[in-house]
Amino acid sequence: MFLRNYWYVAATDEEIGRKPFPRMILGEPVVMFRTEDGTPVAFEDRCAHRHLPLSMGKLVGDRLQCHYHGLQFDMTGRCVRIPGQDQIPPTAKVKAYPVVERYHWIWIWMGDPALADPDKITDFHWLDDENWGAKASYLHVKSNWQLVVDNLLDLTHLAFVHETTIGNAALAEHAVVKVTRAPNNVVVTRWIIDQDPPPTFKKVGGFTGTVDRWQIIDFVPPAFLRLDVGATPTGTGAPEGKRVGGINMRNLNAITPETETTSHYFWGQAHDFDVKNKDLTQKIFEQIQMAFFEDVEVFSAQQRNLDLNPNPPQLDINADTGVIQARRIIDRLRGEEQAALQMTAAE
Amino acid sequence: MAETGGWQRVAALSDLREGEAFVAKLGDAAIALYRLNDGVYAIGDVCTHEFALLSQGFVEDGAIECPLHQAKFDIKSGRCLAAPATEDVKSYTVKVEGNDVFVRT
Repeated sequence: MFLRNYWYVAATDEEIGRKPFPRMILGEPVVMFRTEDGTPVAFEDRCAHRHLPLSMGKLVGDRLQCHYHGLQFDMTGRCVRIPGQDQIPPTAKVKAYPVVERYHWIWIWMGDPALADPDKITDFHWLDDENWGAKASYLHVKSNWQLVVDNLLDLTHLAFVHETTIGNAALAEHAVVKVTRAPNNVVVTRWIIDQDPPPTFKKVGGFTGTVDRWQIIDFVPPAFLRLDVGATPTGTGAPEGKRVGGINMRNLNAITPETETTSHYFWGQAHDFDVKNKDLTQKIFEQIQMAFFEDVEVFSAQQRNLDLNPNPPQLDINADTGVIQARRIIDRLRGEEQAALQMTAAE
Repeated sequence: MAETGGWQRVAALSDLREGEAFVAKLGDAAIALYRLNDGVYAIGDVCTHEFALLSQGFVEDGAIECPLHQAKFDIKSGRCLAAPATEDVKSYTVKVEGNDVFVRT
């Protein structure tokens, strides 16, 4: 079951243009496009007349024209032209979703439009900030969205899944982990002190000796994970808050459910050193992307097993603390949203 | 490991913070120390349900909540307060002398 009254990332800014772009979000077909002045628009991808996806149609000025019988819809979703018919009934409209463009992403509100306050959009400014170098991308995931959230809240997997890039044994075996929680937030802080840096950190940071490495994972529901990650040479004061002579990055993730068993994974990597160096931004991005490709394989393999038996017994280990706290928040919010819907239905 | 006639020094008082567990070893036993507003307490650190380390959980209202399945234990007595655990954890006698915290072995 999806959480609906939240802003989700629907697309990257580059994906949306003057060609209608279809994407399934929270189990609903959505079509997105830009008006002539560049404003992003999102409709349900289904003509009000005979259900053809409107994404098969084309833009005529700022109107989206259905491919089947030529009905035209304005940017509010109202039908403004029916070929061969002067009178347009008021029911001739398609659902239009609130949309905001921010941080190089197109955000969509799939719930009650009256609640769509853009101030509630989760902060991802690192992707659009001159003090940071950043590159973002998109991955399609063949698993339920919560498996991706779980993955990012327990980074001990880096030691095993990503040993050629961002992981090494130190991070599973020699770490100090602290989990803090609030009603709508989980923070997992992991310090790995005086250990060898993983391969990616050696390539990007040029470390020669051991490092003090941090991973501070900030989870905000339904599926936003902002990771403050980096390392400095051991003993230079990072645990006390002094980050010098190393690398300081943000790994930024926004997961949007497509269906119950598939997901859209929007992610980016930002760095605060040598920020104008595009080659460096690209190099860091490619290293992290390699790791993310490895994750995507894990997600689909997990999902294949879950498809065979959706509720098997499962073992929880100490490293799951953040995962379990986040799942508990999501369950609570789901209950609250369902209760609110039932109240509305009863009225 | 400094032993003082049945007492083992396990921590410096200045290392303990309210709201946080401090992990120690008493012989082979994993224990955790907690500083509450009226003193320092020590209980076994392994949840009696599925062996999670309680010290990684959450201190609230004088109890420690297991990080995994929400079992709760009273920090002063080790008494189990919430399922899914049913057994208490062991409670240890603590004394503080100056900045030294001792637990009875």
